[in-house]
Amino acid sequence: MLQANLKGMLAHKLRLLLTATSIALGVAFLAGTLMLTDSMQRAFDELFADVSSGTDVAVRAESNVDVTAGTDSRPPVPKELLDTVKGVDGVAAAEGSVEGYALLAGSDGKPIQPQGAPTNGFSMPENSALLGDTVLRSGRAPEGPGEVAIDATSAKKGDLALGDTTQVMFRTAPQPFEVVGIVGYGENDDLGGSTSAYFDLATAQRVLEKQGVFDSISVVADEGVSDETLRDRVGAALPEGMEALTGQAVADEQSAAAKESLAFLNIALIGFAAIALFVGAFIIWNTFSMQVAQRTRELALMRAIGATRTQVMRTILVESVVLGVAASLLGVALGVGMATGLSELMSGFGFSLPQAGVSIGIDVVLIGVAVGTLVTVVSAVAPARRATKVLPIEALRDAAPVQPRFSKRRLAAGLVLVGAGAAMLLSALFGSAPAILIAVGMALVVLGIATLAPLFVRAMASVIGAPLQARGLAGELARQNAMRNPRRTASTAMALVIGLTMVAAVAVFAASLKASFSDVLTSTKADLYVVTPTSQSEGFSSEVTEAVRDVDGVGVVSSTGFGMAELNGSVQAFSSIDPPTAEQVFDLGMVSGSVSDLTDDGVLVHEKLAEKKGLEVGDTVPATFGTTGDKQFSVSGVYSVRGFVGTDYVISNAAHDVANPHRLQSNTMVLVEDGESISTVEQRIEEVLLDHPDATVMDQKEFEGALSGVINSLLGLVTVLLLLAVVIALLGIVNTLALSVFERTRELGMLRAVGMTRGQVRAMVRWESVVISTIGAVLGAVLGIGLGLALVRSLADDGIGEIAVPGLQLALYVVAAAIAGVIAAIGPARRASKVDVLRAVAAE
Amino acid sequence: MTTTAMRTIESTAARATSVTKAYGVGDAQVLALDDVSVDIESGRFTAIMGPSGSGKSTLLHVLAGLDRPTSGEIHIGDTEITALNDKQLTLLRRDKIGFIFQSFNLLPTLTAAENIALPLRIAGRKPDPLWVQSIVETVGLGPRLSHHPSELSGGQQQRVAAARALASKPEIVFADEPTGALDSKSSGELLKFLQHAVRELGQTVVMVTHDPAAAAHADRVLFLTDGDIIDEMQSPSSDAVLDYMKNLGA
Repeated sequence: MLQANLKGMLAHKLRLLLTATSIALGVAFLAGTLMLTDSMQRAFDELFADVSSGTDVAVRAESNVDVTAGTDSRPPVPKELLDTVKGVDGVAAAEGSVEGYALLAGSDGKPIQPQGAPTNGFSMPENSALLGDTVLRSGRAPEGPGEVAIDATSAKKGDLALGDTTQVMFRTAPQPFEVVGIVGYGENDDLGGSTSAYFDLATAQRVLEKQGVFDSISVVADEGVSDETLRDRVGAALPEGMEALTGQAVADEQSAAAKESLAFLNIALIGFAAIALFVGAFIIWNTFSMQVAQRTRELALMRAIGATRTQVMRTILVESVVLGVAASLLGVALGVGMATGLSELMSGFGFSLPQAGVSIGIDVVLIGVAVGTLVTVVSAVAPARRATKVLPIEALRDAAPVQPRFSKRRLAAGLVLVGAGAAMLLSALFGSAPAILIAVGMALVVLGIATLAPLFVRAMASVIGAPLQARGLAGELARQNAMRNPRRTASTAMALVIGLTMVAAVAVFAASLKASFSDVLTSTKADLYVVTPTSQSEGFSSEVTEAVRDVDGVGVVSSTGFGMAELNGSVQAFSSIDPPTAEQVFDLGMVSGSVSDLTDDGVLVHEKLAEKKGLEVGDTVPATFGTTGDKQFSVSGVYSVRGFVGTDYVISNAAHDVANPHRLQSNTMVLVEDGESISTVEQRIEEVLLDHPDATVMDQKEFEGALSGVINSLLGLVTVLLLLAVVIALLGIVNTLALSVFERTRELGMLRAVGMTRGQVRAMVRWESVVISTIGAVLGAVLGIGLGLALVRSLADDGIGEIAVPGLQLALYVVAAAIAGVIAAIGPARRASKVDVLRAVAAE
Repeated sequence: MTTTAMRTIESTAARATSVTKAYGVGDAQVLALDDVSVDIESGRFTAIMGPSGSGKSTLLHVLAGLDRPTSGEIHIGDTEITALNDKQLTLLRRDKIGFIFQSFNLLPTLTAAENIALPLRIAGRKPDPLWVQSIVETVGLGPRLSHHPSELSGGQQQRVAAARALASKPEIVFADEPTGALDSKSSGELLKFLQHAVRELGQTVVMVTHDPAAAAHADRVLFLTDGDIIDEMQSPSSDAVLDYMKNLGA
């Protein structure tokens, strides 16, 4: 039986090719994404393991709060502890180390800002055993107050060679250093994309403001003493609040933290893969439905000569398993290319990722094959069940594929799916349901609409195809062909609907976000903004604000900061402001209390949060900071406009400085003195900032443009990723058309026989494709606008108050989809025009 | 216009000259048509008969420009179609030839009326309403014109196909086993219609059939065996054709 199956499959090469392609593409996207994230994770594992390979045991302060974001999440280690550690039995060597924010400038004076990775300054260990895989590739270790060693990537990017002088920016004033060494990490040129500056210990302590303390103590064990033993011994000698870990544990922790910072990206990538696979599933489903319909006669013949339904089903099952496994394996192989392409794509949009090289793990193969095969089998079995329900003799009599009627059950199922999906979606967006329900709800809505689509797709095809009638017979026949099998047209278009829905939702979301930003900006009254040169920077030195303050013509200077702490029992973000000046530069919309009442022990809370937690002016908010530990704040006021600060808690800058002495500033707003021209003052500030490359100045318009720029580049990346799903969907159109052409061989032959030219036949197929893709695009755009608006409304409290629908952009998407439909039709149209007239018209 | 009047013109609607059609190469080569020469007269109903595999369908296909002969020349009217490229041949089929196939071959998305007008629509021409009406009346489809093929019986579908073939006033109509899928009553009606089209409307019809009763409706029967025309019969009767075929088989 299996042999008969395989022969049967090979006999229909086109059918096989089209189905296999759709499975392989869906799986390729999934596998590629998995490989990419796996590669990223391994990159971090290897990197941090390499770096800490020299450290057997590390000593540090216990964390007050589990804040992984940013540096300085722990209290310092007193330097006296070094002698204690050195005295522990089994310690061969021990050294204190510090690290902190240090931004390098290239030879052009511009900061070397990595994408999405920190800019670190380190003390360089003196004991070579502690260096681990951190090696000096050239030059020597830094000695004394004016020397620095930098990582190889920074040297290349900043065009810095040994002997060059570079400006290094700290939380305090920037200082020039001579590059004396270039550092590498095993084979890597940098630490997971971050920049590293190494100083000798004393210099590092000075520039990083950690005089007399360490961040940690690194220990080398004596021969024969295991890391774990030594950890326990050192641990026993430590005072309260200090902890000892093995080097491996620290590496794991750092790696986990780095991975966590990429977790969002992973989820996003898996999300895209899921979308692609969902689209792929539609295509596979559709392809199998059409094939089984076309094979109804063959299946009926098998039944007529005595095969049971079970046997027929088993045949199809075996076929689909063989096909599913083979095509999925192909998909996994294609995934390698997909992973490389994705990574190139992301760095093209300015999001470069550390990578350990793409490799095919056994887990990726298993997941890819399992998912691909499952989707294939499910897609194959459902239509086969339908086909085998037909009485054999009916199928043999009727050569045309049976067209099932739209049943009430189908209507009910569709309505239930749409209803349940919408309910989930809305409850996740506006209620307290978990975020995953957004995805599940959306999938259900799409499935429901796919179920209902045959009801209205005929009407849509009729309307969309109406202008085609002006294009003569080919256009008219195309319109009717698109209308003749609503189920097929519907499921083909649905694949496109999914991609277009996402693209359109993102477009609506981004447009609303931009509109809201301009809205936020109108709530600020600042003339000039001093900000970091790129959105990737952590912040800038407080020296910048002081320098700006001294510029001629500068009236009011008000800076803001941003940090993470445990507030009221959960770790979250807070903002800090300058209470006396804040209200002069932006509007918080105070509901009770006032901004100027904000003391260094006070906190402002957002209206919604105050409502939820029952907070009123005078209530206490407990807080825990990484470096400095517990603190009590009392509520000084409640605000309603989250827009500019963007967080639920606001404290004073002074309180922030106390809580985290090493913090950076994120934005400094400036009001010019009466009678001064804004652009003149801007120029003066620009001149002053030449000495502070970690900050730049913008007027309102430029600030707005910079914010839009970030949104645009993110929007670009997301759209390109989603377009891959659209490309898969177009492949589905190619599939459907190719199989339709195959199914209509006789019809096409007749048309050719009675005088239709090849050009007319091609036009007919092409217009049908345009009708289908336009249906998908229009439906997708409508759904996307709905989803986008729902998303925007749900975030109304988070600063996205405006709603904008980019009509022109969406119209362009629909036009682009129609053009893509023309492209999708090229192959099938050629095939249709070359139909063998004789085979089509000759009696069987 | 009478039959005798048409016959006196005696012009040729289609002509095959030394036509050979070979399939395969070398030892495996099969000659479907072996040096066939024949004239099809205008205004007459010609039937081509022969046992299975005699090459009768192949002859029809090459005469109609659906297939190309391996050697020899085919003329439709004054045009040598063997010299035409695909595009020219397609336009010639569209403008000068009508087809009736065994398996109806109607477009399921079009109504009967639309199917009848199809070749004219393909050509972008306006149908001659009087002509179409007379065909539709003859074929007896009046009340069914707005139906789709799936709502028509086999006989009705084939009559639609016949009306379609005649709607563009072609120079010649080719019918490939047109009664092959019909019951005897429907067959009779269709053949009467074809006869009427020739005798009353002055059309030229060439029909391939293996049914002596069908052939008896023709003015002239050509007998084909092993790829060559071996005989012909004028104004045949069903019995005469049957007898001749029996002899052929013997």
